[in-house]
Amino acid sequence: MSLEEYRSYMETCRRCSTCKFIPLEKVTGYDHVNVCPSITRYEFHSYCGGGRMVMGTALLEKRLDFTDKLLEVVYNCQMCGACDTSCKYSMDMEVIEPINEIRIKCVESGHTNPALDKVINSLRKQGTMVPGTQTKRGEWAAGLNIKDCTKEKVDVIFHVGCLTSLNKDMWKLAKIAAELLKKAGVNFGIAGENENCCGGRAYQMGYKPDFLNQAKNNMDMIKKSCAKTLVTICAECYHAFKVLYDKFDLKGDLEVLHITEYLARLEKEGKLKPKKKVNITVAYHDPCHLGRMSEPYIHWKGKEVLDGIRYHEPPKEYRRGTYGVYEPPRDILKSIPGLKLVEMDRIKEYAWCCGAGGGINETNPEFSMWTVQERIKEAETTGAAAIVTACPWCVKNFNQGISQKESHLKVYDVIELLEKAI
Amino acid sequence: MALKRDFYRALEDILGPQYVSDAPVITETYANPVRHGIAVTPRFEAITLPDSTKQVQAIVKLCNKHEVQYKASSTGWLYSDAARPNCIKIDLRRMNRILEINEKSMYAVVEPYVIGAQLQAECMKRGLNCNLTGAGSNCSALPLAAHVNLGHLSQTGSYGERNQLALEWVTGDGEIVRFGSLGTNDEWFCGDGPGPSLRGIIRGNTMPLGGLGVYTKAAQKLYDWPGPATFPMEGISPKYKPAYIPPGFLVRYFSFKMLDAMIDAVLKIGEAEIATELMCFNAAMMASNLATKNVEEEREIYKKFSDSVQGPGFMVLIAANSTGDFEYKKKVLQAIIDETGGQPLKEVEDPENQGGYIWRYFRETGSIKETGRVLAPQAGMVGGGDSFPLMSYFIRSCSKVKARLIADGSLYDDGASPFIQSIEHGHTGHGEILARVSLRVKDPGKLQRAINAASNEISIKEHFGVPQHIWSDALHDMYGPHACNYHLWLRKIKKTFDPNGASESSTYITAKDE
Amino acid sequence: MIEQELLVNIVGTQNVINKQAILDQYASDMSFVSAIKPECIVKPKNRDDIEKIVKLARKTGTPLIPVSSGPPRFRGDTVPSVGGAIIIDLSGMKKIIRVDRLNRVAMFEPGVTFGELIPAVTTEKLRLNIPLLPRSTKSVTGSMLEREPVVLPTYHWDIADPLDCVEIIFGTGDMFRTGAAAGPGTLEEQWAAGGAQVEAAGPSSASWYRIIGGSQGTMGVVTWSSARCEILPRLEEPFLVSSSQLDGIMEMVHWLIRLRIPNECFILNKMSLVAMIAKKWPYEYQEIKASLPDWILFYNLAGYEYFPEERISTHEKDVWEITQRVSLEPARSAGKVSAFDLLKVVQAPSAEPYWKLRYKSACQDVFFITNFQKVGELIDYMYKAADDAGYPVPDLGIYIQPLVQGSNYHVEFNLFYNPESQQEANRVKELAAGVIRPLISRGAFFSRPYGENARDILNKDAATVQALKKVKMMLDPDNVMNPGKLCF
Repeated sequence: MSLEEYRSYMETCRRCSTCKFIPLEKVTGYDHVNVCPSITRYEFHSYCGGGRMVMGTALLEKRLDFTDKLLEVVYNCQMCGACDTSCKYSMDMEVIEPINEIRIKCVESGHTNPALDKVINSLRKQGTMVPGTQTKRGEWAAGLNIKDCTKEKVDVIFHVGCLTSLNKDMWKLAKIAAELLKKAGVNFGIAGENENCCGGRAYQMGYKPDFLNQAKNNMDMIKKSCAKTLVTICAECYHAFKVLYDKFDLKGDLEVLHITEYLARLEKEGKLKPKKKVNITVAYHDPCHLGRMSEPYIHWKGKEVLDGIRYHEPPKEYRRGTYGVYEPPRDILKSIPGLKLVEMDRIKEYAWCCGAGGGINETNPEFSMWTVQERIKEAETTGAAAIVTACPWCVKNFNQGISQKESHLKVYDVIELLEKAI
Repeated sequence: MALKRDFYRALEDILGPQYVSDAPVITETYANPVRHGIAVTPRFEAITLPDSTKQVQAIVKLCNKHEVQYKASSTGWLYSDAARPNCIKIDLRRMNRILEINEKSMYAVVEPYVIGAQLQAECMKRGLNCNLTGAGSNCSALPLAAHVNLGHLSQTGSYGERNQLALEWVTGDGEIVRFGSLGTNDEWFCGDGPGPSLRGIIRGNTMPLGGLGVYTKAAQKLYDWPGPATFPMEGISPKYKPAYIPPGFLVRYFSFKMLDAMIDAVLKIGEAEIATELMCFNAAMMASNLATKNVEEEREIYKKFSDSVQGPGFMVLIAANSTGDFEYKKKVLQAIIDETGGQPLKEVEDPENQGGYIWRYFRETGSIKETGRVLAPQAGMVGGGDSFPLMSYFIRSCSKVKARLIADGSLYDDGASPFIQSIEHGHTGHGEILARVSLRVKDPGKLQRAINAASNEISIKEHFGVPQHIWSDALHDMYGPHACNYHLWLRKIKKTFDPNGASESSTYITAKDE
Repeated sequence: MIEQELLVNIVGTQNVINKQAILDQYASDMSFVSAIKPECIVKPKNRDDIEKIVKLARKTGTPLIPVSSGPPRFRGDTVPSVGGAIIIDLSGMKKIIRVDRLNRVAMFEPGVTFGELIPAVTTEKLRLNIPLLPRSTKSVTGSMLEREPVVLPTYHWDIADPLDCVEIIFGTGDMFRTGAAAGPGTLEEQWAAGGAQVEAAGPSSASWYRIIGGSQGTMGVVTWSSARCEILPRLEEPFLVSSSQLDGIMEMVHWLIRLRIPNECFILNKMSLVAMIAKKWPYEYQEIKASLPDWILFYNLAGYEYFPEERISTHEKDVWEITQRVSLEPARSAGKVSAFDLLKVVQAPSAEPYWKLRYKSACQDVFFITNFQKVGELIDYMYKAADDAGYPVPDLGIYIQPLVQGSNYHVEFNLFYNPESQQEANRVKELAAGVIRPLISRGAFFSRPYGENARDILNKDAATVQALKKVKMMLDPDNVMNPGKLCF
């Protein structure tokens, strides 16, 4: 849908400001009620979900131009979807979708952010959205004898993702995931240097044609492989394959699972048994694109009826963040002997973003760090020794934030702790 | 009309450049927050974000000096913003601290951008509760920031005009007045005196809506909370429900064949002092509170509910102090319902639903849904306040206007049953008609004016008091002669405390010459 | 100065009084304010009379002092502060206009006393929220306008309760009705529609009743008021709690009110209690006083229409839970004082002689509002100050009234003294004036400042004084209404 097609949703906004806060039923105190990093940081209403609805309508009506300030507001958003979830507690409307369309419109009309152009150029030229080249994507797996899914028959494609493949600090996650899958006897493979960037972050940044290009290439490769299941350790990739590809009718019957979903399933099937004690108290951070943003896409074909009030024929179901992946990572953590899981105030569908999404790492690293520091402070209040999460982007941002803040907290991915227990 | 650069620079000097902006992308989102069917308005010249009373005062004085108007707001849900040329917005978002919760004297002191949900949650940890603005816990916890500040708890927790204790006020021309004990002792426990109470000039049963300076801090009464410190909510949005219903808590909905029977029940329940909350929601509001899927689900539930109710009704919520208290209150409630012929709405007491209703009503998280979850301009009328029976009759008369407009297709059909509420154990009452304008209507503003005119005519002819939607010079000038020329006295307040008319007051009253 | 002939034309000869002996009665009162004789007393019969008088006063610059209660008066607010003043004595306006059971409200003229109104509302099975033993000549309207503390704190939602609406002639000569009474329609038309003038706030976005309250007649003359009533209990069970320490009693009071349990509820020290209860002096007084503990909490449980016994027994159980926490024990008596006897006493105006005059024929009150935490500290200070001033501390009466459903507390010190003794009078006068600043610095808020100390109290808050003066300019631009009072 284009921005114009989201018009009636944008006009549904009633300026109630719930997009700024966690769902009101979940407020348990003064602290940690803000859910939108953008307005919490920049304060003007334009930065929140509701403000962006007004912005979108105003762009359509040409009451606003693509000024530097407008672009600054547009690109200072992690695209975390918290506003969407909080709004949709009550409202029948879309929020993150039109926000994304505003970005797409900016890009289409040539109003981009140079830092993001650089990222996309890297995607176009090097096939990756992080520093590095496509050809080096498989280097992490050297010596591990993992099947090549482009050449051998596998049941499961393990999609590693740009960051994990190309950032040596993240290789351990890929290796651990592979090791766990092996231990569970899974017939899996990787594409190695033939792995394509999922394109999800490109979509968030507004570069829709680039995303679609990546998506088509990926699905071609997957179809050729005949694998029925794709597993990834990256929440952004997970969201891309599961939701975005489905949105554009590209996913087909592919089963897309996050590594935590898959490992939780394997535990239930008895194929993985955490036995060793891991004595640590941890707070789990829900990655936005594994949690609220990863709710399965709902295909709806019908019409909007503007008769009386706006309703839909047939009735439209909204993705409200209800069916994101919240429990499997927690189930894994709870299955680890000796591990104590404590919860932060903002969790699950109303988790505070780690700060890495939406291109913010590139366009405004200071805002990214500010966002992650807020989350680190929140984690510190739980008494936990570590933050655990399930996305390499979150892991990276937390590590950076913790070192900047000189916090005592450690950072783990869920699979790291599971590996210690197996 | 752009601001003079020296004025803008002076704002930057007061606030820091990152907290003031005249960029169109910033000012646009304050001017036209809701679009459908509403004419585009000119923008505020600039948006300012002060973080202290000192900064607010400096802005106000600067505006007075430069003959620029200002309009302050906090969470800003009601559209009383009236953005216009030569006017700046004071967005109080950065003034968001809870300054004190005094458990033994049972009051809390907040700045304007503490939201109701925050204050209530902190109160509940201490075994206390606060009245929240009925519009929802997403709104400011400052009683003065609301239109009226009636809320779900008003049966036992009154409302802003009564709950107000000391406050700090930046007058229209930039003086700081600290009311009551705050001015004398720097304490918050009393807002009246010494001598006459200045609380009388800054609000009545409705508010100046930003037209009389800026309220920067205020104390309000708190009430006992017999529930858990933190309500154990399970589920994922929007499908929340409490893990259990706390002992001593109960919610019911009863409908009555005739309005008079309902009034009788409400007054009896009030005199018996058994209800913690008593809100005469209609079937549509009860249905909207329950629906989580979409408006179509809401319509289905509404149809089911409206088939199950026999007429006007109310939600009653009991939160008892003890087991004995609970048993007593339940017994009395049943006796009153039996006497007055109330019929229960079973879906409310269904254990699946009951906990959610209790929690949403206490925490006022359903108000947004109740007033409209989909695209449709809102409309309605808001009664005044006097006896509960009077306000019931007023709204019943007004509901006939709604019924006519539903019949002719101008309003969405969610029933014409009124919404009334009981205040302070039925000593007073208030009523409203909430409506959604059909998307077929080309000029919703015109329809709203027609609704107002109809309800004003009813109110004047049938002596129903001064409704709370009477704001603006035109309406006050029309209404005032019918009510002791109150508008002339209101104008004197405006002229006295905002001599330069710096506080934008198109939704209050101006000091125009008579 | 208004020519008396003009006044006679308005109210009739018999209602314009200039006999010296009568003027003397208004020239001073039981307070220490300087005596200034009024020019005459005028007794209007109705609103029209008052309107005409005020307009004349404005025209001629004549100070007017509205008085609605009979003597003895105590606060100095009805004693002229300037020469040439006319007293508007409303004590003869005694109409009880309406008692409305359905809407729990009564409407009456300013001359109606508690002794007159209580039986009228009782007939309708209603009751008023009254102050503690008001004197028999006290005007109900006057009491409400003064924001006198009342004894049913759980029914005291706001400091202005039980005042609802008033009709007032402002100092401008304009008539105004506050709250729901403003209109549309006459009162009769409003009643016919179902209105009851119970909403005090408004009309619209100002609450004039708050400006009028606490103003000591400086804004205008009230011609009637409406007061919220509560329903009469069917059953009552009063209790007394004795303690030598205030802390536990305060804690208990906090919880009683927080849980909305009691009807009447207040704390007295033994001196104030014996002054109220003792009929025979000095022996009964001494006997009762000796039997009493230092502090006495009085509270009354009530049952209404539905299962009254059960309501009371439920409350008794809930109170028992509270008393366990504070290690106190409710009883039916404290020393020689029975709870039932005290209940009867506090549900009516004071018997004659007025209870504050029984001990030594005079009493100067020092009273203020404070929060829960500061009550004890302020009382401790007052004990010391009294002792330092040579005032016999055992004679110091203390009354603590929770207000506004427990949000703040009225603390009142009754300084009994013999007016015939210059030494005692001077000591009390100096003590009462001398403690004000120290009490303020310790958290006492003199929300109702009277007499010659009022200006000092008000001057602690210059911004409020400026604002009040602005309000005064709106409502009484020529300053004819009780000039010299407060900061005017």
